[in-house]
Amino acid sequence: MSLENLFSLDLFSFSPLAWLAAAFAGLFFILVVIYSLNFMKGRKGLFRYYLYTVLTLVLTLGVIFADNLLLLVILWGFLGLLLYLLIGFGRTPSTPATARKALLIVGGTDAMMLLGLALVWFLVYGPGTGLSGLAKLSFSTVTIPVAGGLSVAAFLLLASAALAKAGAMPFHTWVPDMAEDAPIPVTAYLPASLDKLLGVFFLARISLELFILDSTLGIVLMALGSITIMAAVMMAMVQHDMKRLLGYHAVSQVGYMVLGIGTGNPIGICGALFHMFNHTIYKSCLFMAAGAVEKSMNTTDLHRLGGLAKLMPLVFGAFFVASLSISGVPPFNGFASKWMIYQGIIGTAGNGWTWIIWLTAAMMGSALTLASFMKLIHAVFLGQASPHVTKIAESSRPGTPFALAAPIAVLAVLCILFGVFADRIPFGELFSPVLAGEPVFPGLWSSTSATILILAGLFLGMVVYLLGSAGKTRSVAPFIGGEDLDARPSMRVSGVDFYSTVKDVKPLGVLFDWAERKHFDCYVVGLRFADFLGGILSGLHNGLLGRYVLWCLAGVVALYLALIG
Amino acid sequence: MILLNLLVFGFLVTSILGLTASWVDRKVTARVQYRVGPPFYQPLVDIIKLLGKETLVPTGSYRSVFLGAPLLGLAGAVTAASVLWMNQIHPQTGFTGDWIVVIYLLTIPSMSIIIGGFASRNPLASLGASREMKLVLSYELPFILAMLVPVVHSGLSIRLGDILLAQREAGAFAGNLSGILAMLVGLLCIQAKLALVPFDAPEAETEIVHGPLIEYSGTGLAMYKLTKNMMLFILPFFLIQMFLGGFSLAGWGILWSVLKFVGVLALITVIRNTNPRVRIDQAMRFFWGPMTVIAAVSLILALLGL
Repeated sequence: MSLENLFSLDLFSFSPLAWLAAAFAGLFFILVVIYSLNFMKGRKGLFRYYLYTVLTLVLTLGVIFADNLLLLVILWGFLGLLLYLLIGFGRTPSTPATARKALLIVGGTDAMMLLGLALVWFLVYGPGTGLSGLAKLSFSTVTIPVAGGLSVAAFLLLASAALAKAGAMPFHTWVPDMAEDAPIPVTAYLPASLDKLLGVFFLARISLELFILDSTLGIVLMALGSITIMAAVMMAMVQHDMKRLLGYHAVSQVGYMVLGIGTGNPIGICGALFHMFNHTIYKSCLFMAAGAVEKSMNTTDLHRLGGLAKLMPLVFGAFFVASLSISGVPPFNGFASKWMIYQGIIGTAGNGWTWIIWLTAAMMGSALTLASFMKLIHAVFLGQASPHVTKIAESSRPGTPFALAAPIAVLAVLCILFGVFADRIPFGELFSPVLAGEPVFPGLWSSTSATILILAGLFLGMVVYLLGSAGKTRSVAPFIGGEDLDARPSMRVSGVDFYSTVKDVKPLGVLFDWAERKHFDCYVVGLRFADFLGGILSGLHNGLLGRYVLWCLAGVVALYLALIG
Repeated sequence: MILLNLLVFGFLVTSILGLTASWVDRKVTARVQYRVGPPFYQPLVDIIKLLGKETLVPTGSYRSVFLGAPLLGLAGAVTAASVLWMNQIHPQTGFTGDWIVVIYLLTIPSMSIIIGGFASRNPLASLGASREMKLVLSYELPFILAMLVPVVHSGLSIRLGDILLAQREAGAFAGNLSGILAMLVGLLCIQAKLALVPFDAPEAETEIVHGPLIEYSGTGLAMYKLTKNMMLFILPFFLIQMFLGGFSLAGWGILWSVLKFVGVLALITVIRNTNPRVRIDQAMRFFWGPMTVIAAVSLILALLGL
């Protein structure tokens, strides 16, 4: 194929949705760079760090705008490599292992994606076309109705790459590990924002542009989404490291997006994509707030934190807003998109009774999310300060540098804006071509008037306050049955073990136990399987002469049988 | 218009009815315990008295959150109440999905109590607030399932107005087998939502001295009391809208409405006066076990059209 032919292909397409995703990617790039200026100061290899960050942005834009599937797969592959390189800037002892894990999971699913692409090629052109056919596959020209084994396999292979990138189950385990080990700006940049944009956007495009799904595959997606929501949030509740806890939420929230795409109706898909954008906002805000805590306290271990709200009020305020957003409390942005997803789920009620399970999982998932964020807020910001925090607060006055505070504040404001003005967003125009034409919604959540109601309620409360004596307050020691709190540090409640009760409930305890032994980690399970296979194979050649003579004899016998037969 | 509705119905009417409900509850409790009980205006007088008292803030706590948390709870309750009243008065005008919004708004008062407790810098308050959170988790699952039963009966509409209109045509959903089961589950969930005995582990006066509210005094406590009293009206109101066809505000309907409300309230009061407190893990097992099963069964029955 000559060079001119290559350029005559439609390599890129510029849809409104792609522009929106690109704008978000650009926004997060700017915020992460500002954040890194302070956070990464003084580390080694900063030139490489910023180089990788820029390259990630360029490749991400390429994937977002790519129309040609081959081009997309190539760019996608490099992103996995950059992820590996960026995790490498972590400074914990387990960083290399985590980076390897992420590379293997993401790289392994890249291979599946390539296989999926080959199947698409086969399905479109049949056997016998050369490479020219492979290079011509694009979203805008190819449409495959899902029917029969091959097309289902092709869809699932392509979807697995999207799920691994976004961090949905069963390819999720690299996200919490990475959240714990990689530097915070990298976590806020990749798994929290760009990888979500890439993965969910790609999933939406293959589910809605490339393939025509039937309701069975939709149910598979919805089941995957629901399991992801519930299992990851349950794990998040019992974590005792702030970053790891947030990492599990980065997994759990993908469940909502997969669930929304699985519904297959306009409002569900719209909700899923809107949730994707909302997620990138509140999640990077949360991670960046965790970074600010780590920067001033040198730890994210929940046992050693507490009482930070007074020391870093701005970070607390932003974290609080983002927590309410992720838990889906009206009128913040998480509620607006979850609300649309719920509507989408109810819209699938025509396909049987399964919608009840998905709806319950999604709504219950929100309550569990709220619970785990209440725990975080207590353990990090509101509860009693730990000796560690007190020591640091006495020796230096910990503040939040502007470069850390600015991105956090911007993102928190976005959480509010996207929530309050959710009913003003022209979804039909913005989310084409995934949504063909102006979608018909069964009604939108009137976020603006609801916000006015809530604000009016707050105002009423203020009036009641003014009627009372809240203007002048007196400070007294907390009452603990006559004990002196400061004299007895052992009385401090850190909040880390708030939800250990959940582990005592019968079937859940077993599941938690299995999860701790990593029975659900595809990477560890894969390693165990490889070890098992390796054990068999290495048993075959153990270096003892007798074993080899046996193989020679067996070979001769086999040859003999083959020849006489 | 919506602001007027919020002020008049969401706040004034709801708080008057809430205070009255609180009086009924106290009076019935007193009669059960062979006491005389307080006069009619007592709940209001209590709140006015608290408003006049000094507001104390525990040292070392985060002041603005400590004092701001009660506002959040009141705002949530008032907003939920005005959405419910709007549906009661004009069932046609509500927006699709207000069912979801109300379920979310009804958890905000619990959330405000939790945040307030956390901000108190008091270990007892932290423990109580964590129990409250676990209680929310426990009852939320059966509560969602039970509240889906009216949704199924009204032809899969998540508009409260449609649920009310469907009941006006076909009679209250509590008349069905699935409806009565789901209403039973809903009633027990409401008991927990109000943190009343037997699910008052978060406040457990004898052990953790009112838990999250231990440090509150004066105006803050008055706000929480007011919110709780309002919830004592709002939650039965929601249940009545979902299962008993809502209120009717004309002619003899008023008497019938009062009967419905007092009936639900009396059940709540009797349950709280005749049961001992359960531990939080027992409550969790109770809600995630039998209650969820009953709610699921009623939902299956509803899907079968029973």
